[in-house]
Amino acid sequence: MPYEEILVDYDERKTRALAMGGEAKLEKRRSQGVLNARERLDILLDPGTFEESGLFAVSHRKEVADKTPADGKIAGYGKVRARKVAVVANDFTVMGASSSVVNGKKIRHMREVATKNGLPLIFLGESTGARMPDRMGAEGRAILGQDPYEYRRLRETPWVSALLGACYGSSTWYACLSDFVVMRKGATMAVASGRVTSKAIRQEVDSEELGGWQMHTQYTGLVDALVDSDEEAIETVKKWLSYFPSNQNEPAPHQPPAADSVPDTGAILDYVPIDSNKVYDVRKAINCVVDRDSTMELKARFGRSICTMMARLDGHPVGILASNPMFKGGAIDVDACNKAISFLVLCDSFNIPLVFLVDQPGFLIGIEGERRAAPGRIMNWMNAISLVTVPKISVIMRKSYGQAYLNMGGGRNSDEVLCWPTADLGFMAPGVGANVLFGVNEQDDPVRYRELVAQLSKDTSAWGLAALYETHAVIDPRDTRAHLIRLLDIHRGAQGRRIGQHLLSSWPTTY
Amino acid sequence: MANVISEVSGSVWKVLVAVGDAVEEDQEIAILESMKMEIPVLAPCAGTIAELRMEVGAPVGEGDVIAVVGQ
Repeated sequence: MPYEEILVDYDERKTRALAMGGEAKLEKRRSQGVLNARERLDILLDPGTFEESGLFAVSHRKEVADKTPADGKIAGYGKVRARKVAVVANDFTVMGASSSVVNGKKIRHMREVATKNGLPLIFLGESTGARMPDRMGAEGRAILGQDPYEYRRLRETPWVSALLGACYGSSTWYACLSDFVVMRKGATMAVASGRVTSKAIRQEVDSEELGGWQMHTQYTGLVDALVDSDEEAIETVKKWLSYFPSNQNEPAPHQPPAADSVPDTGAILDYVPIDSNKVYDVRKAINCVVDRDSTMELKARFGRSICTMMARLDGHPVGILASNPMFKGGAIDVDACNKAISFLVLCDSFNIPLVFLVDQPGFLIGIEGERRAAPGRIMNWMNAISLVTVPKISVIMRKSYGQAYLNMGGGRNSDEVLCWPTADLGFMAPGVGANVLFGVNEQDDPVRYRELVAQLSKDTSAWGLAALYETHAVIDPRDTRAHLIRLLDIHRGAQGRRIGQHLLSSWPTTY
Repeated sequence: MANVISEVSGSVWKVLVAVGDAVEEDQEIAILESMKMEIPVLAPCAGTIAELRMEVGAPVGEGDVIAVVGQ
């Protein structure tokens, strides 16, 4: 065959492969306002940077080989905002992007290349699960579980998942192994679809109720960010990556701050009430500390008495782990514990310093918490914080009571502990202390009660802590930003390049 | 109709609305006391208070429906 014919044949094969699951299915998606897998890649990757791997791969079963372009999972390399990445985009129009022998090899290759070369790995999820009949019977077993490292996470590089449709099987499993998950409203993620689940448990189960955005943003915490469209999901992936290095061995990327990046640091006094029984939204206070417009909140609807946020301080990425008294008065429940632990693991794995902003009345105590193993979660958090090797700075703004004082970085659990003059370090609220320790309550003996409250409050002030050098500095709240910038610079070390030991990088991905 | 759920176990300190009152989304309709904190209860949507199922001083449990907002 002369070259001319070979090249014509090549072009024809390429055209067939790029046609995905066919025009009818693609048109249906267009009419629903949903992008297809290649359109998603077009907006994810910098123009002209996609280097595809496995365009001509198809099902190993001959009878479906000609209807499985790229075998339903489009893979390759490219650049996101000029940084190299590896990517797997599920093509739902090809047999529902179901998992097969051949596309499993593609995922494995992407994983290995990304890990070996220090590239983030991105999954654009939308898949039905195991391909049938491939996975049935003994032959099906022979293709399952052939890679003992398939589900091993050591976080050598960041993994990111976008949930962009019905996600079962591999899209779900890889999302649950990822460091960041964004979900488009209308997408679903579950062990099995509503239809399969309904048959198995003999109850009508709605897919949205089973695995929609409310389930995963409010109840499971498996989703970090919620968006309305495919485009927004992909933009969110890019934004998240901007805080993170491409791999564990690189420092977090510094972005020179814009000229107007300094926030109104004085406004923090307007947002944090002096009366420590009064609540407020800590996110407003955070905005008075970090670079203007630099924040990205994670798991915003889950375990809300703890707020976890990526941000920048003078252009350097930081992880903010803050009490949020707006929810449950800042009392830390089991969901908030799990959220905090996952955030410690994330920041420690990728060289992101941690800043604790503390204003909490203790762990939320009660039967519900005990039933969900609250003491175990609290110690898991302590185990995690003691393994963190990135810089940690704790700022005690108002109250920090009980054991949670240590969980929020008190004592030697941070490299630096700073207090506002309003800090209150009791083991419990002074009024409760008067009652529990001395058996005096306000109704029976108001004079003695007030004396005891005054005495217990004095013993627990920032000044008491400063005298014992249990806080390294008492600061003007308006100078919180300036102190953090200077101290983080110190703790990044002489070279200004801090790579942690990543002792948490093999921790589980779900709490 | 939207249920207003208590996010904590505690007691009712103040009720700021009455049945029939119009409320905006996120308007404070009551303040609970728990963990020595004053915890606001916000209207989940705009509407009219159809039911109040809480009394000042009485306990509420996490997840309890403490009010209902009608459209």
